Amino acid sequence: MKTLTSLLLVIAIALSTTAFAFVDDSHSRALDVATPYVKQGYLVRDEFWSGILPANQPMIVRHQLFKGNTYWFWLGSEEDKARVSIHVYDTDGKLCGIEDWQKGPRAAVKVIPKRTGTYFLRVVVEDSPIKRTRWSLAYGFK
Amino acid sequence: MKSTCLALLAVTAAALAIEPPPPTLPSQARFVDKVIVPVPSEVFAALDKLGRPKWAGLINRASSTAKPTGESSQIALMLGTIIAEGFIAVEAEDADEVRNLGRAILTFSNALGVRKAVVRRANSVVEFADKKQWQRVRVELDGALTDVREAMVELSSESLANLVSIGGWLRGTEALCAVVGADFDRDGAELLRQPMLIDHFGEKIDALRDRQKASPLISQIRKGLIELKPIASPQGNARITQRSVNDAGAITKSLVAAIQRKSN
Repeated sequence: MKTLTSLLLVIAIALSTTAFAFVDDSHSRALDVATPYVKQGYLVRDEFWSGILPANQPMIVRHQLFKGNTYWFWLGSEEDKARVSIHVYDTDGKLCGIEDWQKGPRAAVKVIPKRTGTYFLRVVVEDSPIKRTRWSLAYGFK
Repeated sequence: MKSTCLALLAVTAAALAIEPPPPTLPSQARFVDKVIVPVPSEVFAALDKLGRPKWAGLINRASSTAKPTGESSQIALMLGTIIAEGFIAVEAEDADEVRNLGRAILTFSNALGVRKAVVRRANSVVEFADKKQWQRVRVELDGALTDVREAMVELSSESLANLVSIGGWLRGTEALCAVVGADFDRDGAELLRQPMLIDHFGEKIDALRDRQKASPLISQIRKGLIELKPIASPQGNARITQRSVNDAGAITKSLVAAIQRKSN
C-alpha cells in the first residue's frame, strides 16, 4: 500500500509539473527513478532541471545544499539507449557523492553534505544513438 | 527618489559577484542557468535535526489575514512570504493556520491573475492539513509555489515569479535566524551560508524593468541582499557568528515587514 501511495504521489508531481508544458519523458523517467525513495521519506521537489546534450559534453548544475539533510539526485533521459551519469562536487572541487548508480538512461547520486553551501552536479550523456539527448534532473531530501 | 534608487542599484551591482566554480571541474563544461531555490522546509528539516525549534511561536498570524496591497511586485513578494509562512505552520503542525494560509494563497494568486493555476494545490493544502498529513502538505505547498511561478511565466510575468521566490526566501531566512538566534548553534548558523542564492536573487532584481527597480521596496530589498552577502559568505574559513545571525535576522525581518506594509 505504501508503495502504491508513493507511486501515486510521484505521478501526481509529474502530472502537475507538466500541466503547462509538453510531457517531458526525461522528467517522468527521473521521477520513476525517485519512486522507491519517496517511501523512504524523501520529499521530491516539484522543480527540476532539464536540457539537451551531445555525448560527452558535461553540463554543470549549481545547487544549494544544507548540512544535516540527506539528498538524492535522480537523472533520467528519454532516450532508451542512452547512458547517463551524474556526480557531485563541493566548492573545493572534491567529489562528494557517498553512493551512486548508473543504469543506461537512469543514474542517481546520494549526498550528505559536510558543509552548507553551493555544490556542483556534473551531468553527462556518456553515450547515445542520437546527436542531442534530452535529460532531466530531479532531487529529493530528508 | 527614482534616480537615487537606480543609482544605488548600479553602484552596488558589483557587490553581488557570482561565486566562482571549483577549479577541478572540466573547463569545457557549460553551466545550467536555472537555479532551483530550496523550499523553506529544506532548511527547517536541517534545523529540526539540531534540536526542537519552537515553531508555533514563529508563526506570523497576520500573514493569513493580509489583503493584497500595492503594485503587483509587492503582491508577488507577499505571496512568497505567505507560502513560506505555510511551511512554518506545517512545522508547527498548526492545521487551522495552514488552512487559513491555503485560503490566503488563493486570494493573492487571484490578485495576480493566476488563481486558476493554483486552486487545486491550495485545496489540497487545506485537505491534507485537515488530515494532518504534514509531508503531503509540504509537497502541495512546494507544488503551489511551482504552479504559481509557471503560471506567471505563461503570462510573461517571469519577473513576478522571481519576486514570489524572493519573498519566500526572505521569510524562510527570517525564521531560520529567529530559531538559531534564540538558541545559538554553529551548525545552525552555517545554514545561512547561501551566497549563490543571494547572487541569484540580485541578478533577478537587476533584470527587473526600470519602473519596478525604481520602487523603494525593491530598492530596499536589493540593498538588504548586498548587506546579507558578506554574512552568508564570510571570508576564508571564518564561521558565521551569533552576531552575524542576529544581523541577518534584523535585515530579513525589516524586509519582510516592508513587503507586508500597506503603503509602499
